[in-house]
Amino acid sequence: MAGLELKSLRKNYGGVEVIKGVDLSIEHGEFVVFVGPSGCGKSTLLRMIAGLEDITGGELRIGDRVVNHVEPRDRGIAMVFQSYALYPHMTVYDNVGFGLKLAKTPKDVRDKKIRDAARILQMEHLLDRKPSQLSGGQRQRVAIGRAIVRQPEVFLFDEPLSNLDAALRVDMRMELSKLHNDLGATMIYVTHDQVEAMTLADKIVVLNAGVVQQVGSPIELYKKPANLFVAGFIGSPKMNFIDVTVQSIDAGTVTIVGKDISPVAIPADASGISVGDTVTLGIRPHELSNASTGSIVGQVMLVERLGNETIVNIALPSGSSWLAVLDGDHRLAIGQSFALAFDANAGIIFDKTGKARHPAG
Amino acid sequence: MAVSSIAGVSDVAAANRPMRSRSPYPGWFFLPAAIIYSVLFLAPTFASLYFSLTRWTLFDSTFIGLDNFVQFFREPFLVQGLVNTVIYAVVTSSLKVVIGMLLAVMLTSQIMARGYLRSVIFFPVLVSTVGVGITFTVLMHPTAGAINQGLALIGIKGPGWLVDPKLALYSVALVDVWKGVGLATVIYIAGLVAIPRDYYEAARIDGATPLQNFFYVTLPLCRPATATVITLSFIGGLRTFDLIWAMTKGGPGFASDTVASVIYKQYQAGFYGLSTAGNVVLFILIAVLVVPLTMFLNRKQGHE
Repeated sequence: MAGLELKSLRKNYGGVEVIKGVDLSIEHGEFVVFVGPSGCGKSTLLRMIAGLEDITGGELRIGDRVVNHVEPRDRGIAMVFQSYALYPHMTVYDNVGFGLKLAKTPKDVRDKKIRDAARILQMEHLLDRKPSQLSGGQRQRVAIGRAIVRQPEVFLFDEPLSNLDAALRVDMRMELSKLHNDLGATMIYVTHDQVEAMTLADKIVVLNAGVVQQVGSPIELYKKPANLFVAGFIGSPKMNFIDVTVQSIDAGTVTIVGKDISPVAIPADASGISVGDTVTLGIRPHELSNASTGSIVGQVMLVERLGNETIVNIALPSGSSWLAVLDGDHRLAIGQSFALAFDANAGIIFDKTGKARHPAG
Repeated sequence: MAVSSIAGVSDVAAANRPMRSRSPYPGWFFLPAAIIYSVLFLAPTFASLYFSLTRWTLFDSTFIGLDNFVQFFREPFLVQGLVNTVIYAVVTSSLKVVIGMLLAVMLTSQIMARGYLRSVIFFPVLVSTVGVGITFTVLMHPTAGAINQGLALIGIKGPGWLVDPKLALYSVALVDVWKGVGLATVIYIAGLVAIPRDYYEAARIDGATPLQNFFYVTLPLCRPATATVITLSFIGGLRTFDLIWAMTKGGPGFASDTVASVIYKQYQAGFYGLSTAGNVVLFILIAVLVVPLTMFLNRKQGHE
């Protein structure tokens, strides 16, 4: 049984602080995904948990032990690398059993564990091959097998699917999900792909510039992003943003107006916001629909017809462009005028600091 | 049958075409290199094959068949020379592999003055072999040499490095290693830094000790570097001449004679045809030993 507890975890490279005090608690058996753009520190954070990077400050607990200065092999973790790190001179069998061999596990026990892992991952027929004789997906499987045989309490994955093609990635994603259910172990997974994060995670940790932006379930992050960064990062296509002015404030709603939008009352927490302030309105492309009485009117710039849905790129009078995803197939002419409507409950107001002002409750 | 064979031919042609068109340069670009190579290498090689079959005075040659080879193999100290050559090549190349790799491991780890130490270790490679030979002859002098005097200070009576017939060849081999290990180290450093860090990190998570890291990761993954070092130093050892000549001239007696020094002595004595035959023998010896060795070292082992 091992959860993790990160308390004000910090990492400096020389004078540069790359992880700026991360607090996080991970329950046993949870699938946690660290997601963020390149250079946000997600891999560094994972490597700190693995013990491959020193911890500059703060405290890291795995289970009930503080492991800041514990060697990687004694942390009860296993890691799957982006490059898989399979030894080219060893067969799959030897690669999978390498850690057990180092730990001087008796040969028969080792053999059983290797074969068990191979069975779980359906790669028994590959055991005699060298890594160079395997496809990308098979290598991935071997790398996971190497982690499984160690029977770790925590699995760490560093962008394990990024070297695979799109179709294989979808398959492996499902297999990882299944593996998590079967093993019931804690898994921490790093990716920059928000679709991977949304589909795999019990809990997503969004990082930017070494700071945790939000921690929550995928749907929570999608529906109630904490700030502009999370709102823009989670969800595909990206959330639409527009700068607007506060026209009036009532109980539980803020009425906004802008160059591109006629007045709309959006449910929001108005504390600290005054009439006349500039705030940002965010609306997901899927929440927009075409209506002659829409509060936003623009010009169609580009149409992508996918059959089941239509993605429309609309230029607004102020010059900014928005995306709308409409259900079903729509035939639209480039340049035609296009009015957009949305349910006011779907709009999110972000204050000047970028913080989302979700209505109370 | 005919149809299928034609189809086969066109398949082969189709398969070859993209290979050929891949080179952006016309075929005649290789001519300058080919001319230089022919004049400086191929022509002398074939000429030496011919002259090895003649009695040759540099101005005049008479064809005598295989007499030179018969004569060469009758040389009283040739057998010892052959044995010495192989011993010398094996000793120098194995020491260069072991020491070169250990130095490279040290010089790729986080140590102080790493760049400086790398230069220091490479420095002897740049020095003239004859200069090194003369210097070490002085250092290895049985009584006045710095090495034995140094040993005497701690109460050890140093051996006659270059005057003891049992030791002379090995003493020269040690100097050869001192001079050549820098190159082996540089090749190993290049090999070691090319090993992805992930392998070491994966081993670290698996709990590998530094020694296990070395034997399970470093050693197998720098095999291409090992193959290069062994091949280069083994060939170098087989054809060694300058250092032996500068330090012992094959002596004492014929104790440190190698094939190359035996050949040189015959050349000095004016037996040009005979010494050329000796060179052909040396060439064949090197080919017979090195070709299977490199084939063994470079065999595929599942590397990508």
